[in-house]
Amino acid sequence: MAKKNLYLISLALFMHCQFTMAAENLGAGKGVVEKFHAELLQVMIQSDSLGFSGRVDALVPVLMETFDFATIARIVTGQHWKNLDDHQRSKFIAIFGDLSAATYASNFDGFSGENFETIGVEEKRGNILVRTLIQRIDDEPVTLDYLLRRNDGIWRIVNVIANGVSDLSLKRADYTAVLKTEGFDSLVSKLSDKIVSYNIGE
Amino acid sequence: MRQNFLTAPKNSIARLATLIVVFGLVTGCASTPNGDPGDPYEGANRKIYNFNDSIDRNVMQPIARGYVSLTPKPIRNSLTNFFDNVGYVNVIVNDLLQGKMTQFLSDTGRFVVNSTIGIGGLFDPAKAMGLRAHDEDLGQTFGVWGAGEGAYLNIPLAGPSSFRDAPGFVARTLLNPMTYLNPVVTIPVNVVNAVNVRANLLEATNIRDQAALDPYTFVREAYRQQREFKIHDGNPPGDGFDDYLEGEGDSAILKIY
Repeated sequence: MAKKNLYLISLALFMHCQFTMAAENLGAGKGVVEKFHAELLQVMIQSDSLGFSGRVDALVPVLMETFDFATIARIVTGQHWKNLDDHQRSKFIAIFGDLSAATYASNFDGFSGENFETIGVEEKRGNILVRTLIQRIDDEPVTLDYLLRRNDGIWRIVNVIANGVSDLSLKRADYTAVLKTEGFDSLVSKLSDKIVSYNIGE
Repeated sequence: MRQNFLTAPKNSIARLATLIVVFGLVTGCASTPNGDPGDPYEGANRKIYNFNDSIDRNVMQPIARGYVSLTPKPIRNSLTNFFDNVGYVNVIVNDLLQGKMTQFLSDTGRFVVNSTIGIGGLFDPAKAMGLRAHDEDLGQTFGVWGAGEGAYLNIPLAGPSSFRDAPGFVARTLLNPMTYLNPVVTIPVNVVNAVNVRANLLEATNIRDQAALDPYTFVREAYRQQREFKIHDGNPPGDGFDDYLEGEGDSAILKIY
């Protein structure tokens, strides 16, 4: 009897720990996305005074903190990743980070009363999916889902899914097509051109 | 705030697919086909994409930009509401075919309310009543019934589609009441619809042009992902994530969620 009670108590403690850990993970994932959104919103509000380069500078730290660019780089280069040397990998991760900052700085270039709202957090095959909306005045909300993966004990964003379109999937298809037909140097060159064009477009 | 695939309103994203379907927005720099198993006709598809894109850039885009500059947004919104409403029978029928009875009743109510109180669909009072819009079509119905997407297709003057989705063109046309009116009425009305749809997508296609290295691939993947998303009503199952870390499934991947 005592043995059975001990077993039940152990089981209960184990389950409690599991639930607590799960809740902590979900909370951590939600916190990462909300931190990113808070910084992004500030950049949008101060958009005019910051200008394009100011928005990039403001976004780089939070992007580096909340996005796992190393993992994203592996995914978007597909099977070509394993053929890249360390220098090429570092170069690609860096330029991808720069491109992300330029993209956000270019596209979130003003504020018209938008608000970010977290509407759900769930475990998804060991990763975390944070579901959010951009609420807008006089317009339909935009659905933004973030997939987060834990690496070295830290939860960071590895994919953004906007109204059902996975940014990671799009980039993987787009980039691997270039890698396959034109090679790594061409891909890097094209991404560099994109960064410049975002700046000029401003 | 500028709109893009990350920030464009849901309807705009949906309209990108619509525009692509209706006008073949697709195209771009040609590169060597890269052997995506879901796109066995890539060579021909790219040629059609380029053809559609040249028409879009030289005809549709300039007209759409002129239309936007001349037409106030409330009028454009009302025209969008009208055309959405007149095509809503297709949604209702597919609600039924997919066995979504609650949605069927809601969408039927929405159609009735907007067609009457909403003055022929020019306004959307149903939304305020909680009857939100849904997006269903025959291709989604086939998907719900278990059909795979089949080969990706680019249709001249119609844009991205697939073996599964292509029959939806016919169904949508047959279920649109405008089809049965005198061509003297329907032709100009359809021209207005085409221009309005294209105008609604100007920002989204600007983003495509900004972001895509290979616009053909970019549009193809966006189209396929969004179809998957719609078939599963916004909650596609996905393939997981770790499978992709070691470079598996190199070409088209649809299901990282």
